[in-house]
Amino acid sequence: MNNIALGRYIPLNTFTHKLDPRFKILGMLILMVSVFFPSGFIGYGVIAAFVFIALLFTKISLKMILKSMKPMIFMLSFLFVINSLVIRTGYVLFNIYGFTLYSDAVFQTLYIMVRLTLMIIITTLLTVSTKPMDLTLGIEDLLSPFKRIGLPSHEIAMMISIALRFIPTLIDETNRIMKAQASRGVDLKEGSFKEKIMAILSLIVPLFVSSFQRAEELADAMEARGYVVAQHRTRYKQLKPTYRDTVMMGGVLSLLGVIIWLSL
Amino acid sequence: MPIAFEKVNFKYAPNTPFAYEALKNIDLAFEMGKVTAIIGPTGSGKSTLVQHLNALLLPSEGTVLVLDRTITNKHKPKELKSLRQRVGLVFQFPEYQLFEETILKDIMFGPLNFKVPEAQAKVLAMNALKLVGLDESFAEKSPLDISGGQKRRVAIAGILAINPDVLVLDEPTAGLDPQGSKAMMELFLRLNKENGKTILIVTHDMEHVINYCDNVVVMKDGEVINHQRVTDYFERKTQVEDIQMNLPQLLMFKEALLDGGFEFKQPMRYLEDLAEAISKEIKR
Ligand SMILES: Nc1ncnc2c1ncn2[C@@H]1O[C@H](COP(=O)(O)OP(=O)(O)O)[C@@H](O)[C@H]1O
Ligand SMILES: [Mg+2]
Repeated sequence: MNNIALGRYIPLNTFTHKLDPRFKILGMLILMVSVFFPSGFIGYGVIAAFVFIALLFTKISLKMILKSMKPMIFMLSFLFVINSLVIRTGYVLFNIYGFTLYSDAVFQTLYIMVRLTLMIIITTLLTVSTKPMDLTLGIEDLLSPFKRIGLPSHEIAMMISIALRFIPTLIDETNRIMKAQASRGVDLKEGSFKEKIMAILSLIVPLFVSSFQRAEELADAMEARGYVVAQHRTRYKQLKPTYRDTVMMGGVLSLLGVIIWLSL
Repeated sequence: MPIAFEKVNFKYAPNTPFAYEALKNIDLAFEMGKVTAIIGPTGSGKSTLVQHLNALLLPSEGTVLVLDRTITNKHKPKELKSLRQRVGLVFQFPEYQLFEETILKDIMFGPLNFKVPEAQAKVLAMNALKLVGLDESFAEKSPLDISGGQKRRVAIAGILAINPDVLVLDEPTAGLDPQGSKAMMELFLRLNKENGKTILIVTHDMEHVINYCDNVVVMKDGEVINHQRVTDYFERKTQVEDIQMNLPQLLMFKEALLDGGFEFKQPMRYLEDLAEAISKEIKR
């Protein structure tokens, strides 16, 4: 359960925290795009260096990120096995008992690993340094140009912010129900297949029931306070870019430039 | 066989920016075969403390002794199941843990998990249902179609059916109507007196503490600041005020009478004690 803490907002007062969420989202998108350019190992080295500096500016330790990526190891090993069976290009690395490992299998896997790791760190940078509320304000603003073509940007933002708001609640609830059922002798690790199914049911059913209940209560509470869908709303919190955003956007855009140049 | 905490510290989310020390240096031994209340302000660590009793949480430092088990951070005790069968823990708002199609099945869920044969589990479940004051007509109903108070009873029956030696309840009466919560407390007292079960109750209700409990453990900011017999605890009014709680009504009334010129020397606990003391004073 602790892995989910990855990407949770951490209240600090760093450079990244003080950025305008709109520009932070844009910056993240640009970084993501540059990860997808086939810029070779030098390119990824440049991005990794950039991301590492960003981590320093956000005061997140690399250790914390690496720890939270443990669950990926399984997926990557699986990928490696598949790759080494399927990919038959590049030069031969070694050959045992008729099984040949080709260099491209290793490189492909490494490639995907590097990309995935970078993507995870980049998204984590955003979510760790931005309050969910600010994040949705940013999304709403960025989507607002699409209002003209009928995109309900405020409603989308509201949905996202409600969903984000309830993630920690749901995690707490899951933990609580798991503990309560453990007190009734549920053991997710042991037992027959049938018992495991029951164990999972004993967790899922109460979660669903309480989620629906919560949703209904929340809807009532919002209506009781006069929330009307599609009404024009003003905002208490105004977003204002500062010199930091200029610095950050400058950095991100130059990185994108370098990456495009490298992949030409 | 004891239930004891020795120098226990507990941290939530250790080694993260969210780390929070919820229990600090707890040294505590519960008296077996008694009803003990655990009181203290919200956030003082009561729920955290009781979750150590069936190893849902392991101490960050120190040792928890529960019956014949020793629980520390290093060696996670094996076969937690048999511990959980002997120490039944009812969570705060347990009604959220119901999930089966029928109430009977839901109550049988615990015993079946502990490998009690089906027929016997059914008997245990029906007994538990009766104990919590619901009649047989409930057995085949869905646990989702009954009132909140009834759900709470079903959830408690689900633990009673496991027939644990030690029953731990986290705010079992929060949000129940006065009659319902009185019936609930009387049930726990009966389980203690007739079946010899050790009962630990987390509560906010001082009336319950004075009326039904033998001992009281007071928590504040993650520490145990007091552990006494209930009668001794209420002798000193400042102890109660320290944790921003009110005295039970009976004692408030006694205080008012003392202020008004009455002179009582003896400790009081029940209404009868007070009535007797008043009549003595008036005759004097
Ligand atoms: N799962 C958790 N993660 C982090 N902190 C928690 C968690 N559960 C409780 N706490 C914190 O530990 C403290 C004690 O909580 P708790 O034992 O529930 O108190 P009580 O039951 O006395 O109200 C509180 O400050 C609470 O915020
Ligand atoms: Mg609590």
